[in-house]
Amino acid sequence: MAARAGAAPKDLLMPEVLASLSNLDLVARAVAEGFLTGLHRSPFFGFSQEFAEYRAYAEGDDPRFVDWNVYARTERTYIKRYIGETNTHLVLLLDSSASMAYGTGSVSKLQYGKFLAATLAFLAGRQHDAVGLIVFDEDVREYRPPSSRAGHLHGVFHAIDRAEPGAGTDIDAPFERFREFEKGRGLVAVISDFYCDPDALLKGVQPLAYQGQDVILFQLLDPEELDPQLRESAMFEDMETQETMEVSPIFMRSRYRERIDAHVDALKQAAVGVGADHTLVNIAAPLNEALKDYLTFRQRRG
Amino acid sequence: MTLLAPLFLLGLLAIGLPIWLHRLSSENPNRKPFSSLMFLEAGEPRRVLAKNLQYLLLLALRIGVLALLALAFAQPALWREPGAVAGGTAQLHVIVLDASASMSYGDRWERAQDAALDVIGSLAPDDRAQLVAGGRVTELLTGRTVDRAVLRQGVAAARPGVFFLDFGQLMRAVDGVLRGAELPVVLHLITDGQEGALPTRFAELAPTEPAELRVHSIATEGEANWAVESLVGSTLTGEVQASVRSFSSTPVDKALSLELNGRQIDQRRLEIEPGGRATVNFGALELASGANRVSVSLTPGDDMAGDDTRIIALKRAEPRPVLLVSGDLRMRDTLFIASAMESLAALALVPDIVAAAELGDRTLADYGFVVVADAGALGESQVQRLEDYVASGGALLMALGPRSAAQSAVPLTGQQFESGSGGFFGGDDDYAAVGALDATHPALQGAQLLRAARFFRHSAIEAADEDRVLISLDTGSPLLLERGLGSGRVLVFTSSLDREWNDLPVQPVFVPLVAGIANHLLGGAGFSSERSLGSTLALRAVGLLGGQIFDPAGDPALGLVGGSDDVLLDQIGFYEIASGGNTDLVAVNFDIRESDLATVDAATIDRWESLGQRDAGQVAAGALPEDREPVLASMAQLILIVLLVAVILESWIGNQHLTVRRGMAE
Repeated sequence: MAARAGAAPKDLLMPEVLASLSNLDLVARAVAEGFLTGLHRSPFFGFSQEFAEYRAYAEGDDPRFVDWNVYARTERTYIKRYIGETNTHLVLLLDSSASMAYGTGSVSKLQYGKFLAATLAFLAGRQHDAVGLIVFDEDVREYRPPSSRAGHLHGVFHAIDRAEPGAGTDIDAPFERFREFEKGRGLVAVISDFYCDPDALLKGVQPLAYQGQDVILFQLLDPEELDPQLRESAMFEDMETQETMEVSPIFMRSRYRERIDAHVDALKQAAVGVGADHTLVNIAAPLNEALKDYLTFRQRRG
Repeated sequence: MTLLAPLFLLGLLAIGLPIWLHRLSSENPNRKPFSSLMFLEAGEPRRVLAKNLQYLLLLALRIGVLALLALAFAQPALWREPGAVAGGTAQLHVIVLDASASMSYGDRWERAQDAALDVIGSLAPDDRAQLVAGGRVTELLTGRTVDRAVLRQGVAAARPGVFFLDFGQLMRAVDGVLRGAELPVVLHLITDGQEGALPTRFAELAPTEPAELRVHSIATEGEANWAVESLVGSTLTGEVQASVRSFSSTPVDKALSLELNGRQIDQRRLEIEPGGRATVNFGALELASGANRVSVSLTPGDDMAGDDTRIIALKRAEPRPVLLVSGDLRMRDTLFIASAMESLAALALVPDIVAAAELGDRTLADYGFVVVADAGALGESQVQRLEDYVASGGALLMALGPRSAAQSAVPLTGQQFESGSGGFFGGDDDYAAVGALDATHPALQGAQLLRAARFFRHSAIEAADEDRVLISLDTGSPLLLERGLGSGRVLVFTSSLDREWNDLPVQPVFVPLVAGIANHLLGGAGFSSERSLGSTLALRAVGLLGGQIFDPAGDPALGLVGGSDDVLLDQIGFYEIASGGNTDLVAVNFDIRESDLATVDAATIDRWESLGQRDAGQVAAGALPEDREPVLASMAQLILIVLLVAVILESWIGNQHLTVRRGMAE
């Protein structure tokens, strides 16, 4: 793949590079490969049963993973590595509200969310986990129940690819749908910009936590939302409600940042309160950090 | 096309204002879509200068309005050939109706109206006409119009006036009407051609503006009139004398009735010769106190009713005692003024002469006013008495005679004598005359000939701020001044009232001056009660300031100008003047000049018409002479109409935009 052709993995994971790839399947595969290659020395290996490769033992490696059979034959110490395989299911909740269409760089939040969702789906499929998908805005637009059947993953990719910016956001709708059909334990990844009341989010996530679901929230925000660089006052138009408001650059540099930071903190606190993970994702950054957080989350939830 | 005031085109610079305003916008052009306004806060909306102009149609209209306004002030005008406006043969007919009092005789006015209607009926289709009434003032009854109905309505609504009309003055007034006419003018004068209305100089009858003059005489032969020419009465005896004049060629017997306050007192038969006068003396009337309405009427009346009656107001003269305080044991210093007062029969003054020392024996309130012949003769107690008298509303004339020279200040009023008091001018060759005189003061009415008097000595005093100097000498020193004290007033005469220091008492003006002063000190009791029609009555001049005047119809008469006390006497009858609890009457009679119905002959009318013939040939031909210069035709009317349309459109479209904005705000 591209990574093997010599491109730096980090470059490959840049959203503008991914945007040039036409096929979401290809994107997911490229991201996963590139990401996993970049995780050469990462601690994320070894939490599943599928053999991946051998590597020469290096100081600091866990001696438990040394393949003593190989040592007996070759008198060299090799570390045996496995690809994680948990046999669980992952449900992706992708927000396709109008606000997700916002993006000042090469990709919008929705595109970024699609890349992230596809990559997570690919990684899960690679481990033979059942993958489900809910695409929502103010209503549930697409629902794919979790499945590990062959071909299902392509269906998920197709559904992700089809997601278009819709109307407003109703964070309750996907959780309600989820609760209707998913009763067992599993992983739930919510990809959204979370322009909602943290308490409302809390109400949606809390029942899932009580069901034993492990929830991770990916909050996708554009750099302009995190650190606006407004130079002159402008008429801002809400992409969901079309309301307009004249905003001054002074406000955007001071009070707005305080408010968005407070909102992110409040979401994080709300997530922690119900045992969920919260990851703030800058959509100008490569997908590495988000995937790392995901893998850390998976490792932690075992 | 030319501009009469091109500098006003600088106003076009104002067009920049709407252009700038139309770029101003409260809509921030910098629009940005944003995920959510959840964390945003509205800033102060700011007006920004947009790159593009907004509301282009409205802007165009506003620019148009400003441009038209500047153009209107710049007064564009077109050079046009005179008469080219409404076609080559069109004319302007100015129809002047003589609305003088004599036009009310018999059916003269109806004949004048018929003549006017005939003129209107004979107008060519393109002709314009204007109707004017000539009286004391010239009144435009219609504008210049082609609408015959408007002209006929104007004729029907016109009425004759009560004033005398001078044809010379009428022609000057009509000149103003003709000025600026764009068409050849035909001036029609519909009149009775009264001979008495001709001006002294015949040339004054010529219109100064080019016009063909047509005089339509509506007078007929054999019109006769008799008028009460005069009516005089004595306030002392109550005797009344009336004079009747004939303006007829036939003798007549008539009766003359005398009425007093609406009640017929007497009636006399009289025979009036053609063109003659008859005088009737009525017996003494029993005048009531206050003003009496006296009228005489001819019966049977003739076709001019206005001059068949004459009125007069008679105010019964009540004897008014006046206290003369002499400073001379032989009372010589009061001799002249006492004699002057006794000669003023209309005022019925009764002088009571006392020495200064006897002043304490008199009740001052019983006197109309007090005259002190020499203030130097007054002792302290007398000064105090006089001070109390004046303060309580009394009136005092105080002369500073020879005995005043020893004093340092004027008694009562307190003015200081100047050092070296007693301006002494030496002998007969060295004297002072009257320098300035306040002719508007009621005390000096009829005393304008004071300059003949010589003042050899006087007591030089300095007028205080509260003093009103009525007469001053040519040296600048006051001769007669007035000061208000309490409720009363004091007149200070700085010379003697006898011949000691001046020769005023032997001048003819002395009696009128004493009459004026007495009249003033009595509160304006004796002003003339008869005024001519069309004159003004100045309340201030007759000492009745603050009074209210009611016209013969009983309505309050308004001042000529705002706040003015001058009232135009434009009605025949009694005007009532209510002032200080008293009611005085002013009689206003028919102008006797209008009674003479003699008319100018046909030859004179021909001569008069020929005065306006200068351009008649041109007018008749409808052609323009070569030397006639093109005239400037103003385009102001056209521009104002377009401006009006633009303003209406601008308001309408502007309102539409406002409506849209309100809709958005809702």
